[in-house]
Amino acid sequence: MSGRVIVITSGKGGVGKTTASANIGVALATSGASVALVDMDIGLRNLDILMGLENRVVYNLVDVVEERCKLRQALVKDKKLPNLSLLPAAQTRDKSAVDADQMKALCEELKSMYDFVLVDSPAGIEQGFQNAVAGAEEAIVITTPEMSAVRDADRIIGLLEARKDEIKEYRLVLNRYRPTMVQNNDMMSVDDVLEILSVKLLGVVPEDEEIIVSTNKGEPVSGTDNVRSGLAYRNIAKRIRGEEVPIMDLEVKNPSWMSRIVSFFNPTVRV
Amino acid sequence: MSKIAIISQPDQGVFIDLGGCSSLQEALEHLSSTLQSSNKFWKGSRVILGMGNIALNQAQAAQVLAIAKGVGVFPEEIYSKNEKTRDAFSENSVKASAVKPMNLPKVNLEIPKDQIPEAEAEEGRAAEVTSVSVVELEHETMEESTAELEEKLPESKDGTKEDTATAIQKLPQVLYVKQTLRSGQTVSHKGDLVIVGDVNPGAEIMAEGDITVWGSLRGIAHAGIGGNTEAEIRALNLQPIQIRIAHAIARSPDRKRITYANGTGPETARIFEGKIRITKNKFD
Repeated sequence: MSGRVIVITSGKGGVGKTTASANIGVALATSGASVALVDMDIGLRNLDILMGLENRVVYNLVDVVEERCKLRQALVKDKKLPNLSLLPAAQTRDKSAVDADQMKALCEELKSMYDFVLVDSPAGIEQGFQNAVAGAEEAIVITTPEMSAVRDADRIIGLLEARKDEIKEYRLVLNRYRPTMVQNNDMMSVDDVLEILSVKLLGVVPEDEEIIVSTNKGEPVSGTDNVRSGLAYRNIAKRIRGEEVPIMDLEVKNPSWMSRIVSFFNPTVRV
Repeated sequence: MSKIAIISQPDQGVFIDLGGCSSLQEALEHLSSTLQSSNKFWKGSRVILGMGNIALNQAQAAQVLAIAKGVGVFPEEIYSKNEKTRDAFSENSVKASAVKPMNLPKVNLEIPKDQIPEAEAEEGRAAEVTSVSVVELEHETMEESTAELEEKLPESKDGTKEDTATAIQKLPQVLYVKQTLRSGQTVSHKGDLVIVGDVNPGAEIMAEGDITVWGSLRGIAHAGIGGNTEAEIRALNLQPIQIRIAHAIARSPDRKRITYANGTGPETARIFEGKIRITKNKFD
């Protein structure tokens, strides 16, 4: 078996790389694929917290690279999904603890064990980023509809294009999208962002308070029904697997009082 | 501060990695100070030496082995990336290999050079412990602990400094850390460890003896490294992510909400019937 290694990156911090990694991982695993999530943010690890697996971490990625344990010992199985595992980052080390060659070898090994290997990249374009993309064949670039985030995404896409021998495909996820603000011309639209970046769109994730709740609970939203952002991530996972799923309708309509009542009881109707 | 790595697991032995040292001189210094500082701990255990890239000839290899033998340690195996070094140890009839021993959890012991100079090491440490004991002895209400200490230190009250030093040597060393440890920070120590402050999530504290936190323990604590199952972990507020004592691991329950604000009150964790148990400490 040879799986796909996908790096999730953004350049700018705080746009939702780790949230996207956790949610896409959960969505892919729910659909039946075997998934390994790799946290490459050494020294600032968060993915284990989002997954609610913090208390199960014994060994980490640096222990594997430095041969203090076997890869299988460091992989933490998800609480609910047996086909989803997390390779946590080390918290007490920094980015220089591993190099690109070691990451390549690690991704090769994980590829032979899982259908999907999702690498959560740290912010920035320095060694941490270079290590994260080292073993990847595909990339997902995350951005928010803000000038600064789009600018950084553009820089990252440039760096990914420079690696076109290794990175065969890269697609964009537009995160924290607020249709009402777009309608009032207070936020860039999907088209505006695509106009600047000219990349393939993998998905649009609406701004959602549920993300904060799920982060604190340690249960990614894509594992829960009736959450808008969760549905968006499940659609992204389907597109990664090759299914044709239309981008969900985020236009703000002036809903009649009847449809308001319906959407109050069943929020998925509107998305 | 210089760093050498010591990796140990009770049934597999102890791996002392000198690979981080830049020269033979430095490696020899570290080896002798490490082994002498707690020679009871090393005695009788299966020791594997890691020499990293350091190049040694036969005489130098013999010198390394002599230091170990001086404190009753007989290294079973040598790991080195350098072929010349491997040959040198083979000639001294010690098994040499180019492969790092696997499956050993790593323990970083940071040994401040200024704290343990070659000759005055014992005295320096004894003085440190004396100051801790004196604090306890002054508390006259703590009759029990005073009695216990007096038993171990027959002349500690009016004995000469030297007598005190030799008597105290039998007690484990105590490292006293007066600061809050934040995410990513680690403290490891070969004796008992006292933290005055909090240990936040993401921080790790490790000790061969007991761990006492005068504050909230919310990170990872590992007491009894090396296999001491009698070791205890106690804190004013015990809400750790994980507790490890000797080779037992206990993790916190999966919680839906973060409830750090409400304290637990003083609690102690120890091994009971092979598992880590936590008991409330009641004082009334």
